[in-house]
Amino acid sequence: MGLFGKKKRALDPADDLKNQPVPEGSHLLEVDDLKMYFHTQDGVVKAVDGVSYTLDRGETLGVVGESGSGKSVTHMTIMGLIDMPPGKIEGGDIRYRGHSLLEMTEEQMQHIRGNDIAMIFQDPMTSLNPVYTIGRQLGEGLRLHRGYSKEQALQRAVELLDMVGIPNPEQRVKDYPHQFSGGMRQRVMIAMALACDPDILIADEPTTALDVTIQAQIIELMQEMQKKNGNAIVMITHDLGVVADVADKIMVMYAGHPVEFGTAEEIFYNPVHPYTWGLIRSIPKPAGDEKESLTPIEGNPPSLVNLPAGCPFSPRCPYATDRCRTEMPELYVTETGHYSRCHFSGDAAFVAKNAPANSRSAAPANAEEGGEA
Amino acid sequence: MENREPLLHVEHLCKRFPVESGVFGRGAKRYVHAVDDISFDIYPGETFGLVGESGCGKSTTGRCIMRLIEPTSGTVIFDGQDVSQLKGKDLKKMRHDMQYIFQDPYASLNPRMTIGEIVSEPLVIHGEMTDKAERMDHVRHLLDIVGLNPEHINRYPHEFSGGQRQRVGIARAFALRPKLIICDEPVSALDVSIQAQVLNLLKDLQAEFGTAYLFIAHDLSVVQHISDRVAVMYLGNLMEYSDWKTLYDEPHHPYTQSLLSAVPVPDPDVQHSRKRIILPGDPPSPIDPPSGCRFHTRCPIAQKQCSETKPELREVCPGHFCACHCAAVNPIKETSIEL
Repeated sequence: MGLFGKKKRALDPADDLKNQPVPEGSHLLEVDDLKMYFHTQDGVVKAVDGVSYTLDRGETLGVVGESGSGKSVTHMTIMGLIDMPPGKIEGGDIRYRGHSLLEMTEEQMQHIRGNDIAMIFQDPMTSLNPVYTIGRQLGEGLRLHRGYSKEQALQRAVELLDMVGIPNPEQRVKDYPHQFSGGMRQRVMIAMALACDPDILIADEPTTALDVTIQAQIIELMQEMQKKNGNAIVMITHDLGVVADVADKIMVMYAGHPVEFGTAEEIFYNPVHPYTWGLIRSIPKPAGDEKESLTPIEGNPPSLVNLPAGCPFSPRCPYATDRCRTEMPELYVTETGHYSRCHFSGDAAFVAKNAPANSRSAAPANAEEGGEA
Repeated sequence: MENREPLLHVEHLCKRFPVESGVFGRGAKRYVHAVDDISFDIYPGETFGLVGESGCGKSTTGRCIMRLIEPTSGTVIFDGQDVSQLKGKDLKKMRHDMQYIFQDPYASLNPRMTIGEIVSEPLVIHGEMTDKAERMDHVRHLLDIVGLNPEHINRYPHEFSGGQRQRVGIARAFALRPKLIICDEPVSALDVSIQAQVLNLLKDLQAEFGTAYLFIAHDLSVVQHISDRVAVMYLGNLMEYSDWKTLYDEPHHPYTQSLLSAVPVPDPDVQHSRKRIILPGDPPSPIDPPSGCRFHTRCPIAQKQCSETKPELREVCPGHFCACHCAAVNPIKETSIEL
């Protein structure tokens, strides 16, 4: 029952990749040195340049960076949503349960999208089709991937709406997107993404367009769903607060490069890259007796067409040396898999001297004082 | 602070927008109650933060004060003058001392004007510095103050990034050395690292020129960082206001408390250990707002009287006002914020 009347093979859920075991030695999702360049009139835009990470079931990866840092493009590439040309994959691989997504045919990718890997977009206002009812849009994936009939799909759509906490779901499936508020539309997006019970949920700034009280509701909903379904989440955001809330692992991106990757603990309590430090220092601290002044990162993000020589962060980095301006740093990797792209990340004295204070670095000192008293 | 004369005095300010209903507008006339009877003072040189969710009327408040839109009722007294009665020349003169910084740095600069023309436009309008060379010198000086290269005076807005454009907007607002600047979400369109730059710039300029700010934003941590006093708005009403520290340490209104608890803190230990109050549902529509306390439909501690009578703003401690029948320190006790 293809969309254009083409008869497709019978859909057997057992054939789905998500129902097959992860091969020994592989992860659920492995992104390996991925490079996505855009060939434009102005030159080659290196939007994604050497992104690597692994993700397992039940985990949440937070991807942080400023606009234009390549965090969305990386994940659009994983979903196969980048037009090629102008985009071109210049290297690297994406493996889902051991299978390379880059080698798949469009038909295979069609089956992966929505069924195995689903995506939630930033703007719930524009990512729903205004001329179809919510029920029809929710059921679309189920009809396509599972071969549900119209009635079955609608039935399931009611259950899904109920699951994401929309009151009166039997009536609301017949409504159109404009009859929903922003927070409810984002709930519909989540329901739609979870309709086929995907392995990986990629959420691209899912709460940026929402108010803070609604943001809290949506984050809680996503966590609840993850607990229930055991899926992995990739949370793309510019808000370190949201990341601190949900992420197990964090990747910090700058100008197409992952500059630091580690567990949430490592990124917040032992960051080793000056850009991560800058991000942490830029956020107003909510508590405190006195207001600490913010230490912004000076300057502006570089143009991706014309990246500076050496480390791309060097023009804005307060610790940059001549070496940084000429030589691209190698990855510095610790045993735990925490990596950073900075010449000085391995220098413990440099890190200790310049890293921002955090609640943990302050705590041991207090504990000692308490012990003496 | 109480002994000083306020620079801006807002009393019982209301703004209602009519909504056409029925075919050809024949149905009963209904209104969006955007701003509903709010009062506050701003003193010279201070920053007054106005925080709330989208649609709560905070921008409408700012625009009514400057009379970019006409308030329905209420008085606004700025620098001893009743703004709502001003017309023509007097109104223009008032706006000399009150300037506005807009949210969207992409939409608030005319793409056909150079940044020199943009920044000097207030001077031209108010007939100051009629000598062009002198004016341009002043503009270069302003660009320098806000951290832009004065040599870029002949460039167009599209040649600048978002943060730089916001600096142009700030330079324009400061061109006339106003007494009050209404900053309407000046950093919400910017990336975190740039946001910190602009916040620091606003603070430095305030220290230098002694300008008062009405700082409107939805981001509580930004507002608390920059403000001396903070007011929380919900559905056109002021729910609570006090100095920033008291509001943070001893929120009396359940809405303030839930807002504070919903702000994600960039520290996993803190984030995982504290309890959050997640408000159910969405804010109600400002057309036909709830009776009594506007917040009672979502309030975790609402009583019967909350839906019947509207609580007045009362002073719970000196300088700390709260509009709640059940106001107490951290009213939602079981789920109080632990930090």
